[in-house]
Amino acid sequence: MARFIDLAFSAILQAGLYATMAYGLGLIYGVLRVVNLAHGGVIMAGAYLGWVLFERWGIDPYLSIPIVLVASFVGGAAMYRLLVRHLPRGAAGGPASLLLLFGVWLVLRYAGYRLFTGDDRTIRTTYSTDAVSLFGSFLAVNRLAVLGIAVLVPVGLHLLLRRTYLGAAIRAVAQNPASCTIVGIDVERIYTITFGLGTALAGLAGLLAATIFSFNPGFGSGELLKSFVVVVLGGLGSIFGMALAALILAVVETFAILVLPSYLTAAVGFVMLVLVLVLRPGGLFGQRVLG
Amino acid sequence: MIGRVPRRGVAAYAGVVALVAAVPVVFPVSPYTHNLLTFAFLMIAGSLAWNWMGGFVGQVSFGHATMFGIGGFVAARLILSGALPAPLAWIAAGLVAGVVALGAHPMLRLRGPYFSIATIGVGEASRVIFTYWEGFTGGSSGLSLPIDPILKYQLYWWGLGLAGLVGGASWLLRRSTLGLQLLAIKADVEAAADVGVSATFYQDLIFCLSGAVVGLTGGLYASYFAYIEPSDLFGFDRSIGFVLMAVIGGLGTVFGPILGAVVFVLLRQNLLASYPELYLGLYGGLLIVIILFEPLGLTGLGLRLARRVRRAREGRRS
Amino acid sequence: MTNHSRVLFFIAAALGATTAPACKPKAAARAEKDAIVIGATLPLTGSEARIGGFFKEGYELAFEELNRKGGLDVGGKKVKVRLTLLDDTSTQTTAVSLADRLINSDGVDFLLGTYGTNVVEAQSTVAEQNSIPYVTGGGAATAIYKRGYKWIFGTLAPVELLGTTLMTWIAEQQAAGKLPKPAKIALVWENTSHGKDFRKGISDFAEKSGGAFQVVVDESFELNGKDFSPLLGKVKAAGADMFLADAHLPDYITMHRQYVAAGLCHKILSYGARGSEKAAIDALGQENVTYILSGVWWNSQLADKIPQSKLFADAYHAKYGAKNPEWFQALAYETARALFTAIEQAGSTDREAVRAKLASMKIPSLLPGGTLEFPAATGAQVQNPFVLQQNTPEGKAPIIYPKEIATGEGIAPDPRCAK
Repeated sequence: MARFIDLAFSAILQAGLYATMAYGLGLIYGVLRVVNLAHGGVIMAGAYLGWVLFERWGIDPYLSIPIVLVASFVGGAAMYRLLVRHLPRGAAGGPASLLLLFGVWLVLRYAGYRLFTGDDRTIRTTYSTDAVSLFGSFLAVNRLAVLGIAVLVPVGLHLLLRRTYLGAAIRAVAQNPASCTIVGIDVERIYTITFGLGTALAGLAGLLAATIFSFNPGFGSGELLKSFVVVVLGGLGSIFGMALAALILAVVETFAILVLPSYLTAAVGFVMLVLVLVLRPGGLFGQRVLG
Repeated sequence: MIGRVPRRGVAAYAGVVALVAAVPVVFPVSPYTHNLLTFAFLMIAGSLAWNWMGGFVGQVSFGHATMFGIGGFVAARLILSGALPAPLAWIAAGLVAGVVALGAHPMLRLRGPYFSIATIGVGEASRVIFTYWEGFTGGSSGLSLPIDPILKYQLYWWGLGLAGLVGGASWLLRRSTLGLQLLAIKADVEAAADVGVSATFYQDLIFCLSGAVVGLTGGLYASYFAYIEPSDLFGFDRSIGFVLMAVIGGLGTVFGPILGAVVFVLLRQNLLASYPELYLGLYGGLLIVIILFEPLGLTGLGLRLARRVRRAREGRRS
Repeated sequence: MTNHSRVLFFIAAALGATTAPACKPKAAARAEKDAIVIGATLPLTGSEARIGGFFKEGYELAFEELNRKGGLDVGGKKVKVRLTLLDDTSTQTTAVSLADRLINSDGVDFLLGTYGTNVVEAQSTVAEQNSIPYVTGGGAATAIYKRGYKWIFGTLAPVELLGTTLMTWIAEQQAAGKLPKPAKIALVWENTSHGKDFRKGISDFAEKSGGAFQVVVDESFELNGKDFSPLLGKVKAAGADMFLADAHLPDYITMHRQYVAAGLCHKILSYGARGSEKAAIDALGQENVTYILSGVWWNSQLADKIPQSKLFADAYHAKYGAKNPEWFQALAYETARALFTAIEQAGSTDREAVRAKLASMKIPSLLPGGTLEFPAATGAQVQNPFVLQQNTPEGKAPIIYPKEIATGEGIAPDPRCAK
C-alpha cells in the first residue's frame, strides 16, 4: 500500500513536470500548426538562464521566473519574426518547419556548448533536498512547486483565452486565419505573440527543470519527445486535455516499473507516442480547437 | 520509363564511378584517405536511400537509425557466427531491415509532422529496447567483429558499388512512372488517390526499399568499424545525420544527397579536429539558411550559379 | 550537359579535392625523425570535455617533464617526444577516423588512448588493425581487453574489481559485527559497460559469499535519466541494508537528490566511482554526502604512501598550482610514462620491440599496489587494486582501504540509519 502511494505521488509530481514542459509546444502547435522542434533547445536555454541568474547574481530560481518568462518571450517573438514567419503554410510547410526549427535547436545547442561548455550544471539552493511528508511519502519541495505551476498555467491560459480580447483573437486565428484579416485582426502579430508565449512557457519549464536535476547543453531531446506525447495525447490545442494527458503518461510510465525492468520504462513514453499516433491521431479527447 | 534513358547520361555516370573505382589503384592514396572515402560511400548510400522517403515521397523520417542499427547488428551476428561470409551477411541484414520497415505500415497513414514525430518515437523506443536486448546487440557493450584488413581494404569497392547502385536506382526511380506516382503522393495525397495512386501501397514499397538499403549500409558499417554498439547505431544523432545529409545536399533532388553526404563527412572530419562543436552551429545554420532561402540545398545553389553563368555568357554574346 | 551531369561532375571534383591533399606519399611524412611523435585523441569538447581536459593535463605534464630531461634515450641518442592531440568529442566514428588519420596520414609512431569505454573499444580496433602500440588509461571495461588483441594495453583496472574491493571491505565490517548477516543489497547500475562490470563485481561476490549477502534489487537505468523516483521507490520497498549504485556524475547528483528528498537512508551507501567530487558536494551539500563510499583508481592522498605518487603530485603542483590532481590526471600521466619506459627499454622506435617491452613490463608505479604490469592473462589490463574512500562529516574523504595505504578508518553502518 505504501508502495502504491509512493508511486502515485511520483506519478503526480512527474505529471506536473511533463505538463509544464508540454504547454508551450501545444500552444504553438494549436495556433500556428507549427511543430516547434526547437522546443527542447528553448527549455535548455531557460535552464541555463536560471542557472546564470542564480550563480552570478544569487537570484533564487523562483524569483527569477518573471525574468526568464520575459526573456524567453522576447527570444521566441524574435525567432518567429526572423525565421518562422517566412515558412510556407499548410501541408507543404510540414517538413520545412520541422527542419528549420531543428536547425534552430542545433544552433542553440552550439551556443550552449560555447558559452557554458559541456559540463553538467545544477542549481542548488538551501531547500534543494527539502521534502514534505504526506501519508508516509516524501514529496520534494521543488517538485511540488512545479506541480503548482502546472496547475496554474492552464488556469491562467484559460482566463487569457476566454476573458481577454487578445485571447479571443488568438482563438479566432487558430480557427480560421484567413477570415481574421477581414475582421481587422493582425494575424502576424497574433502569431508572434503566441509563439512568444509558447517559448516563454518552455523557458519557464527549463528553469523549473534546473531546480530538480542536473543538465548540460545536450539536454532537451528527451523532454521534447515527452512533450510530443503529451500534446498528441491531449488532442490538438486543448490545454486541459494536455494536463490530463501528462497525468496519464506519467502514471503509465511510473507504474510500468511494477511489470517492466526499470531500464525499459524509458521506452514506455515513446511506445505510447507511436500507439496514440497510429490509433488515435486526434488524441484521446478528439480534435478540439484551442480552449 | 518516361522517355528513353539517355545514353550519354548513363555513360557519364558509369564513367564517374569507374574513375572513382580506379583512384586507389592508380594513385598512391594513403590508407586514411582510402578509409575516409569508404566511409563517405556508406553515408552516400544511406542518405540517397533516406531521400527516397524524405524527398521523393515527402515523408521526413527521423527514425531511420532503427533500420540502420538492425542491419548492422544482424550482419555482425551473422559474421560472428560464421554462418555467412560478409557480403551475404550484409544482404541478409538489408533483407531483415526491409521486412522490419514493413512493420511501419500503420504509421504510413500519418501525414507530415505526425509521421515525423512517430518516427522519432520509434527511433528512440528501439534504441532503448535494443540496448536492453543483450542477446542480440550485446547490450551497452556492443559487439566486436574479428579484424579483417583485407575486407576493410575491399570495402572501398563494396561501398562504392553500393553507392553507385543506389545512386543509379535513385535516378531511374525519379525518371520512372513510379517516380511520378511518388511525386503525386507528395504533392497531394487525396488527389493522387483520386487518380488511382494508392498512397499506402507505394509508401510501403518505398519505405521497405529505403529501409532495406539503409540496413545494408548498416551491415557494411559494422564490417568497417569492426565494433558496433547500440547507442551509436540506434542513436538520434544517427537518424539526424541522414536528414542533414539529404537536406543539405538537396531534399528531393536525385543526386543532392551525394553532395550532402560528402559535405557532411568532410566537415566532421576536417573541421572537428580543429574547431570542434562548430559542426553543430554550422549544420544548424545551414539548415536554417537552406529552408528559408534555397530549399534544394547545395544542389539548388549550384543550379542557380550555373544558370547565372549561362545567362552571363549569353548576355555577353548578344 | 544536363543538370544532373553537372551535379555529378561537381561531386566527382569534390571527391577529388578531398583525395588530393592527402596524397602525399608516406615516405615524405616520415622524413624528419628528430622527434618521436605520439598521437592521441581526447574528448576536448562535448559532454566529456571536463574529463578530457584533465587527461590532457596528465599527458602534457608527462611529455613536458620528459623533454625537460632531454627526451628518451633511444639506442644511445637522446630523442625528444612530441604529442599530437586531436579532439574526438566522445564520438566513436570521429575517434576511429582521427586515429586512422594519425596513423596513416600524420605518421605517428605510437598511440595513447582516449577516454570513454566505448570510444576506446572502437578506437583500439584501428590500432590493432595497423599493428601499432596503443596504451590507454581511459577505458576500464573488460570487454576491451578480452578480444585477443596484441597491441592494446590498459592502465585502468576493471570496474569489476571496484565492486569486489567494495564488497571485500563491507564483508570485513560484517565479520566485525557492524552489519547484519545476511545483509540485503539494493544494486542499481547505469546501463553501460561500466555499470555492467560494477554489477558483475558485486553480484559475483554476493553469490560466492554463501548467503552472507543477498541482492534483493538488481535494476539498470538509462544514462542521463531524469526521474529516478519509481526506481528509488522500488529500492525503498525492498527494505535493503545497503544501496550500491554505479552512476556517472550527473546521474549521481540527480539520483542522490531524489534519494535524500525521499527520506531514504541505508547503512552502506555507494555510487561506485563517485562520491567525493567537489562538483557533487557543491550540488548536493556536505551534509548529504557524508558516509558515502567510493572507489577510485587513484587519489592524491596516495602521495604520502607511494613514492611514485609523490613524484607525480609534486610535478603536478609545480606545473598546475595548488589544485589537487584526481585519478584522471594521474592515470593519463602514468599511461604516457609506461609508453616512454617501453620505448627506452626497447632502445628503438620499432613497434614490435616496444610492444614486447610493454607486454613484459614491471616497473614501480604511482598506482595502488605500487607496481605496473600488463598481465597477459587479463588481455594486458592492469589489475591494481582500487582505493576506497569515505566522506566524513568534517568534509574530508580519507582512504579507508586497503589497510597498507589507508589514511583513515571507515565507518559502518551510517549512524543516521542504523536500525
